[in-house]
Amino acid sequence: MPFTLPWTKKQDDDPYWDAFTNRPPADPNALALFEMLRSAPDGNVYPVQSEVHSPDIMAQHLKGLASFFGADVVGILRLAGNTAPAGREPDAPTEYPFGILVGVRAEHDPSTAAGMGGQTPVLKGAGVTFNLGAYIRECGYHATRTQAGGLDRLAAACGLGTLNGAGRLVTAAFGDGIHLADVVLTDLPLAPDGEEAAPWPPTS
Amino acid sequence: MTVITRPTEPSDKGALEPFTVPYLGRTVRIVGPVANIDPSTNPHQMNVRGELGKAVFNWRHNTISSDPLGRVGFDDHCADRSHVLTNVVRRAPKVAVNPNRTPVADPAAMSAHIKRVARHFGLDVVGIGASHPAYLFAGKAINPDTGEALDAVDGPEILARRLPFMVVGSVAWNYDMTKAHRHHVGDAAYDFTQQRTALILNILESYIRELGYHTLRGAVQGQAASVAAGIGELGRNGLVITEKYGARIHSGDAIMTDLPLVADQPLDIGVDDFCKVCKKCAITCPTNSISFDDKVVHNGIEKYKINWETCYKLRPLMVKWAAKCLTCVTVCPYTKPSTWWHDVAIFSLKRTPIPARSLVARGLKWLDDAIWGTAPNKRVRWLGYDTGVKPGEKACTIPGCTANHGESSTATVPNVGYYPPLKENTNRFVQRG
Repeated sequence: MPFTLPWTKKQDDDPYWDAFTNRPPADPNALALFEMLRSAPDGNVYPVQSEVHSPDIMAQHLKGLASFFGADVVGILRLAGNTAPAGREPDAPTEYPFGILVGVRAEHDPSTAAGMGGQTPVLKGAGVTFNLGAYIRECGYHATRTQAGGLDRLAAACGLGTLNGAGRLVTAAFGDGIHLADVVLTDLPLAPDGEEAAPWPPTS
Repeated sequence: MTVITRPTEPSDKGALEPFTVPYLGRTVRIVGPVANIDPSTNPHQMNVRGELGKAVFNWRHNTISSDPLGRVGFDDHCADRSHVLTNVVRRAPKVAVNPNRTPVADPAAMSAHIKRVARHFGLDVVGIGASHPAYLFAGKAINPDTGEALDAVDGPEILARRLPFMVVGSVAWNYDMTKAHRHHVGDAAYDFTQQRTALILNILESYIRELGYHTLRGAVQGQAASVAAGIGELGRNGLVITEKYGARIHSGDAIMTDLPLVADQPLDIGVDDFCKVCKKCAITCPTNSISFDDKVVHNGIEKYKINWETCYKLRPLMVKWAAKCLTCVTVCPYTKPSTWWHDVAIFSLKRTPIPARSLVARGLKWLDDAIWGTAPNKRVRWLGYDTGVKPGEKACTIPGCTANHGESSTATVPNVGYYPPLKENTNRFVQRG
């Protein structure tokens, strides 16, 4: 009989946990809110642009704000390349010089755990990026969220962790149990974490 | 005593036991017939109809927050509704009840599972209560099977039988931010935890329907559900006070369900004894809306009753600085951070025999006054905000920011926050003797 710690036994006894984590919902609407949050259209940019602190302080504030919204790790990147998302609005900027990467702790990998429990990090990440984008727009700057692959490499580039052999991000606090949410692209002046500009769109 | 004795349906006549008076702990007692409250008579709904006066109506409908965070947190004062997360949550489609119902052999195991799921989603407190018609709103009952409206009188009883359990929970507010009440920082603590609570309860409801069971929200009075589910006790300030977070929680919109569960029992953490002695919330309430007197019987329920109208009408007077008051939450000694001395204090109170609790409560109140102050106005620094500087009288022009930016800052009071309006400015609400 394997040795079990007393405080872990209780959770192992949960007969419903595996289905909660891994069984895809019978009604796709169960995950509709997750997608609604991710794909909610950007609101209007507040007409009066706020004065901002130096990019250093503004970057600290945004990271603090992301943590308050529920992020576990946050990084800021300077982006190079074609940063304008496809299908942008006519009055949207043609380039976003900064990207904000948000990671939330993931007990289960959302790419393999299809149950509502397994998808929870997606929901949390979508909530954080939704609020971050909205806040930046309320400060009078543009911000939009975009879904992209190959984010692990960018996260490693801005110091959130290192890549393992499989190319996945490994953080000091959560190992590879981290889910990277959609990137918030913005023209708000920020101090990036990495020294070099990251190519955009990212390559896997 | 029986509160409601009607049979649920004609065919059930005589077959079901009537509901008996529920036990709600020592802070609330049902002592007479309870009329189910029409939800359209709550202050927010009355204000929507303009029944509370122009000032409060304009506060809600025609005011945009000067703080970017305030415009994102709550749709009362936003500039663009699509920036408020709660508006997305409201549009989420209802999940169909899964026809392949998950069998529940052990309701206790399912209760533990639901609580674990709720915490996994992010709730800090969660409890399960037994439904009772007295907790339900009137006139809004909907048959969860068919979606049809139920009769306003029979509705609560039918619902309480068909959906015998209530799952209720909340995300707790950060204590350090809560200290900055009547300030953008306190507003943010309130608004964003409310957003997350609404989001999580929505997902939790979807999960229960995925398990194959019916759910209904919007039918239960949140505080009644919270007290019945053992989340906390009802304090003098009219708020549910929890053991770990004090009054720093939302009495969220409980999920009624027919999922087989085991109901929790109401708590006794000494709130009844402490509130008799403390009265800090009554002393510091800017509008004197909280009574210094004993409990009263209102609608068949014995409890402390606040004057909600004067409480509500403070809002437009402080709209320049904040959207919410929250003074009674902040000053409540139970609201202090969950530290060892906080836990020891509550443990000592709840383990003391009831006749001797008054003495212990007086000692704890004296300690709280000595250490934290009788009317704490702590200075809070959070991100770029600093409550030690009067808004508008500082160098920084970032909306909402009063941070110390060096020599140009006018911050002269080191450890006291600026939280207008002060109590003496609002004497207009109450004639003092």
